[in-house]
Amino acid sequence: MHDEQDQLISQVADELRAPVALDPAFDARVMAAVRRAAPGRWRLALRWWTEPRPLRVSPLVGLACAAALAGVVVIGTRAVQPRSAPGTVPVPAAALVASTDAGEVVQFVLVAPQAATVALVGDFNDWDPGRTPLRVTAGGGVWSVNLPLRPGPHQYAFVVDGKEWRPDPAAPRAVTDDFGAPNSVIIVGGKST
Amino acid sequence: MTDRSDAALISQVLNGNAEAYGALVARYRERYARFAVHMLGEREDAEEALQDAFVRAYRSLAQCADPARFDAWLFRILANRCRTAGARRARRARTFIRDEAALGEASAEHPAERREWREEIHRALERLEPDQREAFLLKHVEDLSYEEMSALTGAGISALKMRVKRACERLRVLLGEVQHA
Amino acid sequence: MRQLLLLALALAGVPVVRAQEPRLEGRLDPATRASVATLLDSARAAGLPTEPIVDKVLEGMTKRASPDRIVAAVRTLATDLGAARATLGPTASDDDVIAGASALRAGASGEMLARIKGVRGKAGLSVPLAVLSDLVARGVPVDTAASVIVHLAQGGASDADYTGLERGVARDIGAGAPPGAAAAIRARIVTTDGRGALTGAPASVPGKGPNASPKTPARP
Repeated sequence: MHDEQDQLISQVADELRAPVALDPAFDARVMAAVRRAAPGRWRLALRWWTEPRPLRVSPLVGLACAAALAGVVVIGTRAVQPRSAPGTVPVPAAALVASTDAGEVVQFVLVAPQAATVALVGDFNDWDPGRTPLRVTAGGGVWSVNLPLRPGPHQYAFVVDGKEWRPDPAAPRAVTDDFGAPNSVIIVGGKST
Repeated sequence: MTDRSDAALISQVLNGNAEAYGALVARYRERYARFAVHMLGEREDAEEALQDAFVRAYRSLAQCADPARFDAWLFRILANRCRTAGARRARRARTFIRDEAALGEASAEHPAERREWREEIHRALERLEPDQREAFLLKHVEDLSYEEMSALTGAGISALKMRVKRACERLRVLLGEVQHA
Repeated sequence: MRQLLLLALALAGVPVVRAQEPRLEGRLDPATRASVATLLDSARAAGLPTEPIVDKVLEGMTKRASPDRIVAAVRTLATDLGAARATLGPTASDDDVIAGASALRAGASGEMLARIKGVRGKAGLSVPLAVLSDLVARGVPVDTAASVIVHLAQGGASDADYTGLERGVARDIGAGAPPGAAAAIRARIVTTDGRGALTGAPASVPGKGPNASPKTPARP
């Protein structure tokens, strides 16, 4: 009788351990709220500009901006090399890895620790979920793939476990959504003249 | 090479780089989403509580005593949010179960039965006292030790053991009948 | 003119010569396949790029959209492509026509497109117009976004300048700036500093910052 009861609890726990799908816009919502709570570089900059002074970036504001920019750039390029060390998880974003004659190589990253499979679909692979699977790092949870893309705009999204449509949480959305499932956009830069 | 540990990210955030917080959100959201959903029984409520927890954690990040244990600190904030949310929300239809069903396939062998079983479990969970539900989830689903649970909830260890025991008894009564039906 | 007439006929459902698109073979029901094939033929005849149309169908199929929805989306796209071709002219590249169609869909007018093309000259339009669409998606009013794109083009901005501006605007909006102001101000910074968008110079207040008119370096 005791064994049977423990077995029930264990079955219940197993069932409850199953992954729960989150709204793909979750990260974006949290970060939007975080940025609203952040010290407000915009307001700092506003104050700085309303005081007459020569055209020079004040050290504090410049430092804050540089730090913030550095953070964004680092995250953007850190997404390039997901490492297997536990707990090192870059922010998902498509990031430029290398330039070749055929185009630019972009790395797409998605953090999905509960996923069994993640595929990249977009206007560069006929939206075919079978064509560009992502690989997960040894540490688990971070999925990535490198792909050469022609310069210009591209629409894409991820398909998780063959059924869940997930736009890139950190990329801008396409303006139009013809089918009720939004796409993300990456603009692969052309040459810098 | 940049250190991407919790402590390093927190340090960056405290130095003015709000964007680094995004990595922490991505790191923990799935893990804690599960707890929030089962505590509150509704995905929307759970996402709101989770979002709230992340934003509160951001705002008081400087008060995180041990940045290397950010995860436990965040979990405590989330548990508080869930308790507040649970206490004040009105009863609504359990839409998240339909979401899960819509998202797709349960076990290949007996999909309909599996879904029913899952719904029974959720119904039973909802009928537990919040304290018992919380203790049960932390012990049996999130696999915390009683010490960790005590630090997280502020309750004593023997009180927690009692809550888990009562939760298990109640679940056996509610679900044992279903199983044998 | 005849080509556009053919397209108009196709959009009205009048059948023309059918061609095969191998990627769609065996994946659509006969009626949908016929509608799509008709549209593809007419687009081809009207000198429009067909790849985006095929792509749209494939996108709809992956998203498990209903056939009606797929056909509706494709008709809209074909119309936009036709309008872009009409605005940009018969010698515009396929990429430019595709970018033009997206910009039109985002709310840009034919005049805006023509103006941007006029200023860009021979340089490609797909990155500037993609940035225009992105800015609109972020909440920048379309008039402001179009002015920004033109302004940069007048300053001889490269594709990298456009994407740099887009990133800068995204950051400023994230920091709480109103989208329209963020875009207008960033544009001024890029042209006055040359490459200022990437150095993190703080945004200025419209009307209160330095009133220097933008330099116009020689067009590459």
